[in-house]
Amino acid sequence: MHMSDSLVSFAVGTTMAAVSTGAVGYSIRKIKKTDLDNSKIPMMGVMGAFVFAAQMINFTIPGTGSSGHIGGGILLAALLGPYPAFITLTSVLIIQALFFADGGLLALGCNIFNMGFLTCFIAYPFIYRQILKKSVTPKRIALAAILAVVIGLQLGSFSVVVETTASGVTELPFRSLLIWMQPIHLAIGIIEGVITGAVLSFVYKSRKEIIMNSLEKGTQKKISMKRVLVIFAIAAIFIGGFLSYFASSNPDGLEWAIQGITQGSEIVNSSKTHLKAQELQENTAILPHYSFDGEAQDSVLGTSVSGVIGGIVTLVVTIVSGLVIMKIKKNKGNRVVTDK
Amino acid sequence: MSSINKSIQQITALEELAHRDTLLNKLAPSVKLIITFIYVITVISFRPLDVSGLVFFASFPVFLMIIGEIPFQVLLSRCMIALPFAFFAGLSNLFLEKNTIFYFGKFGITEGEITFTSLMLKAVLTVMAVLLLVASTSMNDLIYTLISLHIPSILVIQIMMTYRYMSVLLKEASLMYHAYLLRAPKEKSIKLNDMGTFLGQMILRSIDRAERIYHAMQCRGFNGGMEFSKREKLGIKGWITVVVAGSLIIILRVVNINKIL
Repeated sequence: MHMSDSLVSFAVGTTMAAVSTGAVGYSIRKIKKTDLDNSKIPMMGVMGAFVFAAQMINFTIPGTGSSGHIGGGILLAALLGPYPAFITLTSVLIIQALFFADGGLLALGCNIFNMGFLTCFIAYPFIYRQILKKSVTPKRIALAAILAVVIGLQLGSFSVVVETTASGVTELPFRSLLIWMQPIHLAIGIIEGVITGAVLSFVYKSRKEIIMNSLEKGTQKKISMKRVLVIFAIAAIFIGGFLSYFASSNPDGLEWAIQGITQGSEIVNSSKTHLKAQELQENTAILPHYSFDGEAQDSVLGTSVSGVIGGIVTLVVTIVSGLVIMKIKKNKGNRVVTDK
Repeated sequence: MSSINKSIQQITALEELAHRDTLLNKLAPSVKLIITFIYVITVISFRPLDVSGLVFFASFPVFLMIIGEIPFQVLLSRCMIALPFAFFAGLSNLFLEKNTIFYFGKFGITEGEITFTSLMLKAVLTVMAVLLLVASTSMNDLIYTLISLHIPSILVIQIMMTYRYMSVLLKEASLMYHAYLLRAPKEKSIKLNDMGTFLGQMILRSIDRAERIYHAMQCRGFNGGMEFSKREKLGIKGWITVVVAGSLIIILRVVNINKIL
């Protein structure tokens, strides 16, 4: 469910980064103020590493011949509590983006929100904890985990659909994308939920205090529904108002700004195809004298081909300059050795 | 099992690259981080139909790969992980945007084909940029940079510890997995029924390990924060590099080089 940089527009990426940064900042303040004794710091780090290791273990999905792995959001929240779990998941997502190309820098805010915020601050307190409010038994833990994981994943994939649509990168309509994403994540969620439930029940049976401690701590410091709603409202206002404006009238906020600088919106009164062709021609108007002939279509072809040629020329120049720098560096190194 | 070993190899491969003495590695980490951000944002800002503009931006990772002496195959194999979702999201453009924009000989090139190419190019370029940053910067340097940028120490410690213990727990997971398969020779992977116990055991081991680590940290004077003797500052050289590289990237985006040429 990790979104990459290419799937988000600048406006969506930065807005979600702002929302997630707010949630991270709030969680850190909360942890510092109330939740944390120093022993939990290495615990959070090791549990983050555990999520990585656990994701590498595939299990067989009966009857399908395929395999799956766990996600870890609800598992971490149930073991550490929501705020430490959110910070741990954030660090896991940062490492995945940096070292495994899973996600991206600009999409980090979206991924933290989709996989961290929605599981730790919505699914955990409003599903998992509510089910375990009256009594805690292995069966209830399993049920709570399954429902929390399924709902967390559904919310996450819904959020992916909203962010992708708002970014305007796919022509697939919102509804079709939703129909494609939600059922897949329902199936994944059920299996992941069953595993998470089984793991938490096992931990409860072996070391009851681990599950009970995080539940009791959560009772003392309830997550404020008001605050969650405020964050959601801010996100909704941004996405619904600010972003949709940019997504619909201009593909991208930054692009709109650049258009303002370059005053590049000159296209007036034409058919959609012609407009697109003209846009393409404008973008690729490299080496205009090398156009194939005077015909409009051919001119577009000529300029686009020369555009690509221009790009390749730049690439070659770059490679050559890089190689020259390397040669100079190597010569310098050799000179130092011979001087000695 | 192979995926576990592959992950361990992936972590060590990038770490080894980051510890070499190349021109790219010598650049200050904060400089590289800021330039990477500028580059990623600029690449994302391209209109879906502007493929040739993106081609110019391919020069940046290629140039860095040369001066960083980074093998192309390592980055490309990582790139493949990021591509499937972008591929499926862009695939719909091929079917839904069927307006022919121009003809290449007899072949009509549709709007969907252009936007699909643009999306895939963006995916490759942004992932390459991030991987180049990590392949030329050691984890410790990245951590110093995050602290210099005033990222809260709790989050920085988490990133550092998670990264450090990832390979330790992966090796442990690999051993447990191997032991399981030896006891269940007919199984290809862990049965769904056994997964709860398996991962549960791993959690208990991890919790015990975390407690031991905490005691060891306490013995070395851990007080919940991070103490560093070295706080990196950007300096004049760093600022000049950021301004020059940043301006080049922005000029390449704002000025229509196609028209100049």
